Amino acid sequence: MAGEARYLDPAIVARLGTIDLKARTIVEGFLTGLHRSPYKGFSVEFAEYRQYLPGDDLATLDWKVYARSDRHFVKKYEEETNLTCHLLLDVSGSMGYGSGAVTKLQYGSYLTGALAYLMNRQRDAFGLVAFDDKVSTLLPASARAGHLRVVLLALERLKLGARTNVAKPLHDLAAAVRKRGLVVLVSDLLDDPRTVLDGLKHFRYRGTDVVVFHILDPDELKFPFEQSARFRDMETAAEVMAVPSAVRAEYIERMQAMIAHYRRELGLVGIDYCLLDTSQPLELGLMAYLMTRRRVL
Amino acid sequence: MFGIAFLSPLFLIGALAAAVPILLHLFHRKTDVVIDFPSISLLTKAPVQNHRRRQLRELILLLLRVAALILLAVSFARPYAAGAAAPMSAVVTVVALDTSMSLSAPGQFARAQQAASQAVASAPASNAVALITFADSATVAVPPTSDRGAVQAAIAAAAAGAGGTRFRTALASASEVLGTREGNVVIVTDLQQAGWDAIDEGGIPDGVAVQVMAIAAPAGNVAVTSAMRRAGEVIATVQNYGPDETKAAVRLVVDGKELTHATVMMAPYAAADLDLRGSLGEASVAQVVVDDPIGYQPDNTRYVVLDSSPAIAIAALVADPTGTTGGLYLERALTVVNEGRDFAVTVADGRVLSKWTTAEMSRHAALVILGTRTLDRAGRELVKTYLAGGGQVLLTLGPDVDPGTIGDVIGIDLGVSPAPVRSPGATLVPADSRHPIFRPFLIPSGALGDVQVDQHRRLTDQAGRTVLARLTGGDAVLTEQTVGQGRLLVFGSDLDNQWSRFPLQPSFVPFAVETARYLTQGRSPRQEWTLPDVPAGAPMAPGIVTAGEGATTRRMVVNVDVRESSLAATSAEDFAKAIARTPRSDQGEPVNAAREVEDRQRWWQIGLLVMLAALAGEALVGRRAA
Repeated sequence: MAGEARYLDPAIVARLGTIDLKARTIVEGFLTGLHRSPYKGFSVEFAEYRQYLPGDDLATLDWKVYARSDRHFVKKYEEETNLTCHLLLDVSGSMGYGSGAVTKLQYGSYLTGALAYLMNRQRDAFGLVAFDDKVSTLLPASARAGHLRVVLLALERLKLGARTNVAKPLHDLAAAVRKRGLVVLVSDLLDDPRTVLDGLKHFRYRGTDVVVFHILDPDELKFPFEQSARFRDMETAAEVMAVPSAVRAEYIERMQAMIAHYRRELGLVGIDYCLLDTSQPLELGLMAYLMTRRRVL
Repeated sequence: MFGIAFLSPLFLIGALAAAVPILLHLFHRKTDVVIDFPSISLLTKAPVQNHRRRQLRELILLLLRVAALILLAVSFARPYAAGAAAPMSAVVTVVALDTSMSLSAPGQFARAQQAASQAVASAPASNAVALITFADSATVAVPPTSDRGAVQAAIAAAAAGAGGTRFRTALASASEVLGTREGNVVIVTDLQQAGWDAIDEGGIPDGVAVQVMAIAAPAGNVAVTSAMRRAGEVIATVQNYGPDETKAAVRLVVDGKELTHATVMMAPYAAADLDLRGSLGEASVAQVVVDDPIGYQPDNTRYVVLDSSPAIAIAALVADPTGTTGGLYLERALTVVNEGRDFAVTVADGRVLSKWTTAEMSRHAALVILGTRTLDRAGRELVKTYLAGGGQVLLTLGPDVDPGTIGDVIGIDLGVSPAPVRSPGATLVPADSRHPIFRPFLIPSGALGDVQVDQHRRLTDQAGRTVLARLTGGDAVLTEQTVGQGRLLVFGSDLDNQWSRFPLQPSFVPFAVETARYLTQGRSPRQEWTLPDVPAGAPMAPGIVTAGEGATTRRMVVNVDVRESSLAATSAEDFAKAIARTPRSDQGEPVNAAREVEDRQRWWQIGLLVMLAALAGEALVGRRAA
C-alpha cells in the first residue's frame, strides 16, 4: 500500500485525529485512486448524459451531442441526482470487539464517516441513526452545508450500547422514511437473522434501497484461539468454556453458514450485502456503496 | 458423650494438606483465561464443554482430593468411637468389685452391687469410670468410659461366684487399667483375709488413692470342708466358721437322691466329722450337702468321687528286701497317701528285677533305685533300657548303691564321687522353691530346714543337669536331667535312714509324694480338683465334670477352696498397708483401653479403603475431564 491509498488501511486511519480528518482522508484517497480505476467518471463534478425519454424537459437536451451523434441526450445536473441516504450504525456491545488496531465500532464509524463525507461531496442528503436495542442517535437526512460536521461529530461521540436489536430500529426507520432513498446498514448482524431480515425487507417493500455492511472481526471469521478459555458474551455475559482446537471447525462452519444465509436471503430481495472484516481496507466499503448508488440512480 | 476420639490426634495436623488442592483450585480459577467474545451464540451449539458442567466436575475432583487427604490424616490419627472408651487424658475411677465366694451369702452381693453403684455415681463428673470384677482372676468388665450407664449395667449383671479372693490380682488389673493416667481405685470387697494368701504379684502406682468399701460378712457360715469315700460310707467334715454354736443338717446325695442325712451340732469355729452311710451302689460321684441359710452358698456342697482310679505302679529297686532297710520308708510314705489309692509300690531286689521283662518293667510309671548291689547285668540293661526309653527314675546314692557300676545301670557317667562325704548337720535348701517337688514347703517356708543329711555323695557339675536342691555346704543333693527319652532325678544321699534322718522327718512324706507325683505326672488322671484349678475345658465352677467317651468315660469333681469359707477379714487399715506401691516409672506400657477399643473397631482401615476409593474416583473423573 503506497501513497494516499495507505490511508484506507483501518489501522492507519485509526491513528489519525478527528473523524472529520479520517473521513476526508479516506474519501480523498479513495477518489484519487478512482482516477486510475475502471470506475472513472463517477465524480461528483461529472455531468451525466442520459437518453432522452418522453416527458423530459427539452431544456435539458444537449444539442451539441445531438449535432455530433444524431441522438437525443439530456444532461443531468448534479442537483437532480441528489439521494436521500440513511446511515444506520450498530453500536451494540458486540461491536466493541476488536482483535487488531480497531474495534468493529471504530471500523464502522470510519466507514460511516467516509460514506457521509462522500455523500456530502455528491450533494446527497444523508442522515445518521445509531442504535443498539434502541435508537441512541438520530440525525435526520439533510444536504445542508454543515450537516456533515454534525454527523461526523455525532460519530465521534458514539458510545457502545447494550444488546443488539437490529429489527426494531429498522422497522421504526422504515415507517418514518417517506421518500425513497438508500439505507446503509453497518452492523455485525449478531442478532436473530430472521428478525434482521424482516427489518431490512421492510425497507425493500417500501421501495427503499438497502446496502448492508456486515462488519466482523478476523477473530470471528477464523477463530484463531489456541488456549482453552472461558468465552464470555460481550452483551449477555454468558460464559462458555471451550477448547478452541475442538470447536474451531464447527464454529467457522456455523459462521460461514450465517454469512451465506445473509448473503443469499438479502440477495433474493435485492439488498446489497458486503462483508467487511476490520483488517480490510475501507475502500471496499466505499466501492460497494458507489456501485449500489449507481444502481439506484 | 458419644463422639469420635483419636488415638494419635497429632496426625490430624496432616489434614491441613487438604488446603493445598483447595488453594490450587482457587488459584487455577483466578488464572482461568476469560475472553470477551461477540459471537458466543455460535459457540453454545458447538460441541464444547459446558462451563457449568466443567465447574461441577472440577468441584467433584476437588472434593475427592480433599476427602482423600483428610481421610489419610484421619486414618493415621486412629479414630474410634469415644463413647466406648474415655480419652487418655481423662482421670479414671476404677471400681473393683469382689465376686468371690465370700460375697455369696444371701443379700451380701446385692449390698456389694449397691456400694459399687454408689461409687460410680459419686465419681467426679469429669472422670472416666472403669469396672473390674475379681475373684481368682480379674476381668475388666468395662474399660474406662464416660458412659456410666454401661458401667451401672455391668454392675447389675455381675454375680458372686465360687472363686477365691485374690487382692493382688485385682490391684494389678486396676493398675493396668489406669496405665499412666491419673485416677483412683475403689475396691468393693468383704476384705476376706485369705485374699492376700495367694502367691501372686500386683500393686498400685504411687499417688493413686485406694478406697475400700467394705461389705460385712454374714453372721455365720457352715461349709463341708472335706468328703471322702471309705468302704461303704462317706466321711464328711463340716466346719462352723461362725462365732455361734450351730446346728446343721447334712445330707448325702447321689444322682439327685438323698441317701442319708444327719444333724450335727457344732461349737463356734469347730468342725465335725460325719459318717454318712448309704447304699452307694455303682454310683461314681456323690454330694455332701449342708443346710446353711445365712452363710456362703457354694461351700455348702462338696463333691466326692466314689470310684477311685487305679493306683500308679512304682517300682523300688533295693539291695536286699529282706535286709534291715529295703525301701520301707519310701513305700510307707507313698502308700499312706489317699489310703494307698494313689500309688502302688512294688519293692524288688536286684535279683528279682533282673528277671522282669521289658513290658513288666514299663508297666511301672517310675522306678526308685535305692540299691544296686544285687543287680546283675541283665537287670542293669533292663534299667538302662527303661530309662532311655522314657522311664522316670529316682536314683538315690546311699550306701547300697555301687558308684562303680551305676554308670552301667543308667547308661551315663554321673560324675559321682566314689567315697561318701560327711556333712554333719547339713540341711536341704531348694534351689527353686517353686519347683513342684517343693511346692508343699512354700507355706510355711523353711520346713526343709529340719532335714539333716550326715553323709552324701558329691555330684560334679555337668551340663544339662539342673540342681533342684543343695545342702547348706553347697553340694548339689537333688538334681534333674534327661537321659535318652527318660528323666533322671538323683538324690545325693539315701532315703533309708542310713546316711540321713530325712525319712523320720515330717517333711519326708510330702517330699516323697510330690517327687512321685512329679515323676508320674500324666500317668494317672486327676479326679479331684479345687478351684481355681479345673480340668481343661471345664467351667470355673464347682460340680461334676465328665471326660472321655464310652469305656474311657470318667467323672471328676471340682470343689471350692475352703480357705474362702472363713469369715475372717482384715481391717481396712491393714488392707491399705498390704497394698504394694509401685513407682510410676516402673509402669510399663499401659494397656490402653482406648487402644483396645480402637484396635477392635479398626476404623482406620475403613478410612484408608474409602481414601483409595476417592483416589480411584478422582482418577476416573480427572481422566474424563482430560
